[in-house]
Amino acid sequence: MNKVRNHPASYRDPSGFVFLYEGKYYRQVNQCYKDDYQALKQSGLYNQLVKEKKLIPHIELDKNFSQSDEWYCTLLPEQITFLSWPYEWCFSQLKDAALLTLYILKEAIQHGMILKDATPFNIQFKNGRPVFIDTLSFEKYDDTQPWVAYRQFTESFIVPLLLCVYRSPEMLKLLQAYPDGIPLKLASKWLPLRSRFNLNVFLHIFLQNKVSEKSNRNSAAQPAFSRKKLLSIANNLLSFVSGMQLKPIRTIWNNYYDETVLNEKYVNDKRSVVEGWLKEIPVKTILDAGTNTGLFAKAAATHAETVIAIDSDADCINSLYVHCKQTGNTCILPLLIDICQPTPSTGWHNEERSAFISRCRVDMVLALAIIHHLVIGKNVPLQQVAETLSTLTDYLVIEFVPKEDVKVKQMLLQRKDIFPHYTVKAFEDIFSSSFEILQKIKVGETERSLFLMKKKN
Amino acid sequence: MNITAYIDPGSGSYLVQMIIAGILGIAFYFKTIWATIKSFFGGRKEIPKDKEKNE
Repeated sequence: MNKVRNHPASYRDPSGFVFLYEGKYYRQVNQCYKDDYQALKQSGLYNQLVKEKKLIPHIELDKNFSQSDEWYCTLLPEQITFLSWPYEWCFSQLKDAALLTLYILKEAIQHGMILKDATPFNIQFKNGRPVFIDTLSFEKYDDTQPWVAYRQFTESFIVPLLLCVYRSPEMLKLLQAYPDGIPLKLASKWLPLRSRFNLNVFLHIFLQNKVSEKSNRNSAAQPAFSRKKLLSIANNLLSFVSGMQLKPIRTIWNNYYDETVLNEKYVNDKRSVVEGWLKEIPVKTILDAGTNTGLFAKAAATHAETVIAIDSDADCINSLYVHCKQTGNTCILPLLIDICQPTPSTGWHNEERSAFISRCRVDMVLALAIIHHLVIGKNVPLQQVAETLSTLTDYLVIEFVPKEDVKVKQMLLQRKDIFPHYTVKAFEDIFSSSFEILQKIKVGETERSLFLMKKKN
Repeated sequence: MNITAYIDPGSGSYLVQMIIAGILGIAFYFKTIWATIKSFFGGRKEIPKDKEKNE
């Protein structure tokens, strides 16, 4: 057996590492973490959090894959269908991840343990809910010490959430540039003056920043901290985060289907065609590209196990996530991703967090009413659209919106028509090089057509 | 600060947590007094915080 290598992002914590072996993620626990790991199990914390579906369950394996002397045991955690990164989440997803972290912190303290780090990368979405995946984040609690991850929690959860609340929900994308958290120094510049009048913002951001700037690192004697103090900070953070709300906004996209141009008959006809195909073809995973408010993602969710619903509109994704949470829809994973600017690979050697395109392999892609936005809105040639879609999926449900369509006419109103080849004939010809066209149906009384295609081998 | 930590707790992180815990303690103290005064004058009894409204 070949020795395994750690996952490119799993190098920070000496307690162990994650590795990929035959398509599955495993976690090695090192000898130096043995006591903490046993405490996690023996305190009952692991069982409780797993039972509550807050922590990823695992099975222990007595197999030293790495053949390392530091090996203590190997964990095979329950696998996550689709890995997403915090900068692909919406406000409510990051907020729920922050609340989960705080809940786990409080439970850990009750069990004589504490979280030694607090980054949103410790969390993934599984069945529509956030789940804590870093089993090695727990350590025994020394109640004379404050929370070592307090700064990290503030910078990687509180700051981005506050920027959403006080500025705009798109600010979450800053986590892509600052994956270790948005520095307090920058946060204090970027947050508006009025935010200082909120006691919690003042304490956790502005005061912390000031103290951090003034303090020197070699202050020797420090008075002991206490469990009571730590719990009061945790409770305060919990009520602070719980109270964060976005201001309601109206974007170009969040009322798209309510517009009169796209009448009810069109939407109903389109839905019945798509649902018919979904019934016909058994698929497990679906990508709904340009999901808008998730009308078709919801329809797809009744036929597939996982629907990754992406859109570039932060408000649409947030509403869809909140809707899924309220209605108990566990199949849809809404993500804030622009198909024209998909998430790149980031981190050390560009290997830590993989790009969206390389993570995304699905059985079916729904590309409904986006082709004109790509070709005419963004100048992406039809050929490139077809090639990219063929790398993602086997089945494709795509809607062609021709130049005669009122939406396309609007798009071409203020610019030169440099798209002489944007016709349904050219579309069919170009897509036929990568896909076999199985069906073609005109939608309602519009000029738009729906195509069901299958990738050619 | 805990020197076994593998992440940098950040400079002044210990001090700021002491200060914040202190301020929260004082705020709690005044809240309790205020609640006692209100209930003494027959005001609305302090209702325990609604049980975490499932977020």
